[in-house]
Amino acid sequence: MENTKTKIFSKNWFKTNASAIAGYGGVLFCIIFFSIATPLAGESIWSAAKLSTLISDVIVLAILSVGAVFVYSLGSMDISIGKQVGLYATIMVAITNSTGSFILGVLISLVIAVFIGLVNGATGELLHIHSVVSSLVFMMVLSGISTLIYSGMGSRNVALKNFDHHIFKSPVLMVIVLIVEVIIVTFLFNFTKFGKNARAIGANPVAAEQSGINLVKYKMIAYVIMGVFVVVAAIFQMGYTGSASDSTGTGFEMNVMVALILGGMPLSGGMKSRVSCAVLGSFTFSLLNVGLPIIGIPVNTVNFIKAIIFIIVVLITCRKSRGILPR
Amino acid sequence: MEERGTDMSQEIIFEAKHMHKAFGPTIALKDVDIQIKRGEIRGLVGENGSGKSTIMSIAAGMQPATSGEMYYKGEKWSPKNMVESQNQGISMILQEANTIPHVTVAQNIFAGQEKLFSKAGLINMTAMYKKADELLQKFGISNIKGKDPVGRLTFEDRKLIEIVRCVTDDTQILVVDETTTALSHEGREILYKLIHKMTEEENKAVVFVSHDMDEILEQCNVLTVLRDGDIIGHLTREEMDAPDAVQKIRLMMVGREIGRKYFREDFIPSHQEEVALDIQNISMGPIKDFSLTLRKGEIVGIGGLSGCGMHDIGKAAYGLVKLDKGQVIRNGKPVKNCLQAIEAGIGYISKNRDLEAIILDAPIQANIVLPSLTSLTKGGYIRPKDEKKLSDEQIDAFRIKCGSGKQYVNTLSGGNKQKVSFAKWTAKGSDVIIMDSPTRGVDIGVKQAMYALIEQMKAEGKAILMISEELSELIGMSDRLIIMKDFRVTAEMERSADLKQTDIIEYMI
Repeated sequence: MENTKTKIFSKNWFKTNASAIAGYGGVLFCIIFFSIATPLAGESIWSAAKLSTLISDVIVLAILSVGAVFVYSLGSMDISIGKQVGLYATIMVAITNSTGSFILGVLISLVIAVFIGLVNGATGELLHIHSVVSSLVFMMVLSGISTLIYSGMGSRNVALKNFDHHIFKSPVLMVIVLIVEVIIVTFLFNFTKFGKNARAIGANPVAAEQSGINLVKYKMIAYVIMGVFVVVAAIFQMGYTGSASDSTGTGFEMNVMVALILGGMPLSGGMKSRVSCAVLGSFTFSLLNVGLPIIGIPVNTVNFIKAIIFIIVVLITCRKSRGILPR
Repeated sequence: MEERGTDMSQEIIFEAKHMHKAFGPTIALKDVDIQIKRGEIRGLVGENGSGKSTIMSIAAGMQPATSGEMYYKGEKWSPKNMVESQNQGISMILQEANTIPHVTVAQNIFAGQEKLFSKAGLINMTAMYKKADELLQKFGISNIKGKDPVGRLTFEDRKLIEIVRCVTDDTQILVVDETTTALSHEGREILYKLIHKMTEEENKAVVFVSHDMDEILEQCNVLTVLRDGDIIGHLTREEMDAPDAVQKIRLMMVGREIGRKYFREDFIPSHQEEVALDIQNISMGPIKDFSLTLRKGEIVGIGGLSGCGMHDIGKAAYGLVKLDKGQVIRNGKPVKNCLQAIEAGIGYISKNRDLEAIILDAPIQANIVLPSLTSLTKGGYIRPKDEKKLSDEQIDAFRIKCGSGKQYVNTLSGGNKQKVSFAKWTAKGSDVIIMDSPTRGVDIGVKQAMYALIEQMKAEGKAILMISEELSELIGMSDRLIIMKDFRVTAEMERSADLKQTDIIEYMI
């Protein structure tokens, strides 16, 4: 039973590495498939124009997903991040327009994000409620705030005035920011207590606590790290169009979840959580978004195909055969 | 291998021929032949990894054999899963907890059989509760009712529920795999009564896999010893009654003379002067005014039945439970939570190893370094090299059987898992170790190593609080022994060569 060194490509190897195979396999499949299929359909997905579409499509999702790795490794999740992106985008536009300072808008957003992160991280543990519940409350509260703001303005969207947001449309900047984020998060996640403790909590909170890990503290840290990157994502979301609306960010929380699962992230968290899941999953997700319409699949069908792929990945990663024992 | 001394008229109910099982390159069973007869309580003993559990888990459909044939009731037997096997009459009670949480006892007992109580798609819960109560009564379990939520039961009582679920009138072979370590004293009595009734009155068969030699010698009428996937030999009841039986069986299990040294060989209580841990008049729930002073280089044992409150003392000393009164002092400062306890050099090994002491779903290395992460952090980050070094040192020191520190703990055997939970605290350099049932579910080879290790810790000046349900190890290892009953201390004894189990039991029950 012991000392089994699994051979590469053996049955056991597939079993133990199922999630990684799904993550890398998904993105590889998409790359190979679209490299062949899109030129046949007319325009290659690797053409300059399409590549830049791909980057701008992937950037917000990837920043959010990579930032969310900490929270998901706890086995928790946050469904308020979509509304958070919307609110921060709105705040940035409104503050920049009224004071002329873009930085001030970002700072205010950061303060709110850290606050939400601290509360979301602490409530689950202190009040013994599931993390989804506290983030659901925030989702509703933020949604309410956003409605108040937009109804107060009498308009459903706001646009930047007197501020050049051109820089945020640069694919080069997007790629650099993403790379920097991945480096920071990978460092924190793999080489510091923060990541190691988060994974330990996800794998077994009781044993983690008995090993001296302060659950509240490390959960709060995980949520705060995510909150910071939600603000970064909001900058790019707002910067791309130079505007925000009452529907900005809608559904992002689910896209993040789907991307992470596509990348092979276990939803229960724990030791098998990896930063690469977030990157791989986001690219798979965006490759499908951009590639499928090129090969002639109508936009409204794209979601069905994503659903099918999603189910396949879930089946690969979550296969367990166990029946209930009869009396 | 010829079985000696068994009555030839006994009907063979189960037979395995040339059973072979390999996990990758590791061979768990080498071409084993075994026969189980009706009316037998067959003991299976062997060290961890000897294959004793593997044989019966194949028979009960948990996993298929790599090759070989099985016969059950004279016909060829190849169960696809445990469900099929249980329906056909081979039931196995597993080592790990296996109840469904958050539902009632009755729902657990009748899981998968709700149809019996359903009418027009609705389940008649009253009928189910009633039937469950009847069943529990039949098994002699009076303190549990069908209506009780499983979550409110103790770990030990949940095990009883599993037994009630597994054993039906149709059960022909009952496999008890290391179950008794998870049972309370009363629970064991219930199980013993059940297996004797099954074999003596109903002419069925029981296979008893256990580490507890006393229990095996008391309950079984045939004993089979395994080592490294081979059957080494069988012992009849008469052979088991021989005065040197334990020595003989141990020799068969280990394959070499393990030596007389098992527990400590000195019989003089000893310790250093310096106080390591001072529990001062603590009260919590039913425990009132408990005090204990633990000195450097001292092993204090606490014994009693599992519900006597001794496990709570261990938790309290580690800061895991809130105290109503009193305090726990270490280095002149009170310990209020387990973070402070760890920082003050206290380590705790929970009785509930797989759920609390270690993270099963994590590599060995991640488990070992977990409490030491703060001290491993240098210049803001943890070097993987340092982590590996710390973990490998412990893996070597404890001789944890594994490919590397990257191997997941859930692939290890029970003894090696327990070594990991020890290694966590020696890696941290803790000076006070609170161990709750440290050798639970561990075979003698590993036990012997653990005792040597505990003795070595004592020599190094570490203070050890050993809470255990096994009197032999308490007597064998403690400098001072405290016996508890109903949340109170009923006796306190010093180490001595004349201390006997029988003297102690009267204070426990």
